[in-house]
Amino acid sequence: MSALSAHILEEIKELPAKYPQPRSAVMPALDLAQEELGHLTPEAMSEVAAALELDPGYVEGVATFYSLFHLEAVGKHHFYVCTNLSCTLRGADEIVDHLKQAIGVKQPDEVSADGLFSYEEAECLGACEFAPMMRFEHHYHYDLTPAKIDALIAETRDGAPSPLRGEGRGEGRKPAAAAPLRREGQGEGRKPAAAEMAKKPRAPRKKKAADA
Amino acid sequence: MPELRGSHGDAPTNVLTRWFGTPDLHTLDVYESKAGGYTALRKALLEMAPADITNEVKTSGLRGRGGAGFATGTKWSFINRDAPGPKYVVVNADESEPGTAKDRYILENSPHSLVEGILIAAYAVGANQAWVYIRGEYDEPYRMLSEAIEEARGKGYVGPKPMGKDYPLDIRLYRGHGAYICGEETALLESLEGKRAQPRSRPPFPAVKGAWGRPTLLNNVETLATVPWIINNGGAAYAKYGTDKSPGTRLLTVSGNVNKPGVYEVELGETFRHVIMELAGGIAGGRELKVFWPGGSSAPVLPASMLDTKTDMESLAAARSMGGSGGVIVMDDQHCVVRAAYRLLKFYAYESCGKCTPCRIGGDWAVRTYERILANEGSQVEIDTLLRVSDGLQNGRCLCGLGDSAGWVIDSTFRHFRDEYEDHALRHECNVGKAVGTVQAASAQVERS
Repeated sequence: MSALSAHILEEIKELPAKYPQPRSAVMPALDLAQEELGHLTPEAMSEVAAALELDPGYVEGVATFYSLFHLEAVGKHHFYVCTNLSCTLRGADEIVDHLKQAIGVKQPDEVSADGLFSYEEAECLGACEFAPMMRFEHHYHYDLTPAKIDALIAETRDGAPSPLRGEGRGEGRKPAAAAPLRREGQGEGRKPAAAEMAKKPRAPRKKKAADA
Repeated sequence: MPELRGSHGDAPTNVLTRWFGTPDLHTLDVYESKAGGYTALRKALLEMAPADITNEVKTSGLRGRGGAGFATGTKWSFINRDAPGPKYVVVNADESEPGTAKDRYILENSPHSLVEGILIAAYAVGANQAWVYIRGEYDEPYRMLSEAIEEARGKGYVGPKPMGKDYPLDIRLYRGHGAYICGEETALLESLEGKRAQPRSRPPFPAVKGAWGRPTLLNNVETLATVPWIINNGGAAYAKYGTDKSPGTRLLTVSGNVNKPGVYEVELGETFRHVIMELAGGIAGGRELKVFWPGGSSAPVLPASMLDTKTDMESLAAARSMGGSGGVIVMDDQHCVVRAAYRLLKFYAYESCGKCTPCRIGGDWAVRTYERILANEGSQVEIDTLLRVSDGLQNGRCLCGLGDSAGWVIDSTFRHFRDEYEDHALRHECNVGKAVGTVQAASAQVERS
C-alpha cells in the first residue's frame, strides 16, 4: 500500500514535461505529496523519487533544505509567525507567547492536543508595513493582536471558512480526513526523537542534515 | 485587498506607483485603460529594434533594485542575442531580505507592470520564455500574478504572436519553498532546476550559462516593473530623477518603530531624514530614533546621527553601508542593539546554505557567542570572538554575500554601539529598557550545536 494515492502519483508523473529539464519537477511534486499527507514521510519521498525517476536520497536532500517542507507532522492548521526584526520591533514576541498559550503548545512544531494547531517562527515574510504579521491557511494576517489571534482560532475551531481558505494551490486537493498526527511513516533514527527536538528553538539544522 | 500603506497616486516622484490605488488596477482592462498599460510593449515590439530597447535602458541609468545595484542595461547587453538555442529571463520574486516588502507591493497592486516589463526584457535579450521564481509564502501575489499572466495570454500579449509580432513570448511561474538564499541569483537558478539552493561559483556567469545551462537574464521584480515607464517616456526622462550615478526613484520599505510603516517611492538622493521622519511619520510613541538599517538587514546600520545620509548608492557607500534591497528598518531608543544583532545573526545562521565553511560555522559561532554575552556570561573574549568571526565571514571568504551580510551586522553594530556591547559583555548589564526578542540561556545551546 503506497503512502500517496494513485491519482497524486499520476499527477506527479506529468510534472516533468512542464519544465525545460525534468528535475525541476521535484519541488512541485513534493508539494503535491505534502498537500495530501500533511507532511513528507520517508515513504512519500521515496514514492516521489520513483515517480520522477530520481534517487530517493536526492529527493530527501531537496526536501530537507527548504523550510516549507515539513518532515514531521504539524497541526492541521499551521501558523507561520514572523519573528524577524521588523515584526519583533512591533511585538511579535507577545504574539508568539499568546499563540502558544491559546493553542496549548510549548514550542515550535509541537502539535496541540486536539491535533488542530501548531506554529513556527518564520523568518521575514515580506509584509513589514503590516507588522506584526503571520501566514495562516495560505493567507497573510496583518497588525496582529492577541484578540485577532483568539478570533482566528475560534473561527478555525468552528470550521467557519476563513476568507481565503481553499484558494491558491491545492484547492479541492485537501484530503477529507484530517489525519493530523500521521506519524506511522516516521523512520527510526532518521531524525532526533521528538522529545529531544522539543528543546530546540527551530527545526534542527534541517539544511545541513543532508550534507553528511 | 488590504489597505495601501505606501506611495500611490499622483505625486511628482511616483514613477512606479503613479496608478497604485486605482480600483482594479490589477486587471488588464484597468491597467490598459487607466494606466496606459502595454503601450510600452507595443512600442518595443513594433517600433524598436532589440538593441534600441537595451540602449534606452542603459540611457535611463536604471540599476538593479534587488540588492546589488548593477546597471540593468549593461546586464541586458551581456546576453548574446544571436547565440543559437534557448535563452531565458528569470525574474527574482523571492523577496526575503528582512525588512523588504516592495516587490509584494508591486505584485499585489500592479502585477501587469511586471508582466509587461518581463515581456519587453525577453524580447530585448532574445529570450522566448521567462520564469518568475516567486517565494512560496507569497500566496496572494502568486495568485494575482498568475491571473495577470493568464489575462495577458488571453489578449495574445503572451503567446506566439504578441501584438502581431512574429516573436513568441511565454511566462511561467515557479514557487520557492522557503529559503532566503534563493534571493542570491545563482542559488535561485539551482532551486529552479530542482536542487538544493546553494550558490554557484562564477564564472560562468548566468548571462553565459544560467538556467538549465542556457544564457539567462536575471532581474528583480521592481527593476522589470520600471522598464515600461522607461520605454514609454525614454531613458533620458528617467535619468532626470535621482543622482548622476543612482538615477531614478526606488521603493523603500519603511518598517519598525515608525508611526506610518509603508512602502514609499522616493527619488534617489533624498535623505533618510525625509524618508523616516516625513514619509513614515517619525518615531512612534514619542521615542527617539536610535539606529536604522538603510537597505535591508544586510546593509550595515547607521546611527541616528547619520539620519541626513542620502538614499543614493554612492552616499550610502560613503557612509560604509549600502542601498541593498531598500528595506529601511527603524529602531527606537528603547531597544537594545546587541539583542537586535543577535536576532539577525540567528537569521543568517539559520539561512546559511551550508556550502562555505566560514558561513556555515561562523554564523552559529556568532549566535552562541551572542548568547553567552546576553546571558551575562561574557567577557572581552566574547567581543574578540565576535569580531574575529565577523572578519572571517567577509571579504570574499564565502561564495555569496550571505556571509558578508552576517559579518556586517556584527561589524556595523559594534562600530556604532561599542558601548552597548561592552555594557553587556564586560559589565553584564543592559542600559536599554526593552529587549528585542528572547534569549536562550547559553547552557541550552550545547544541545543545539
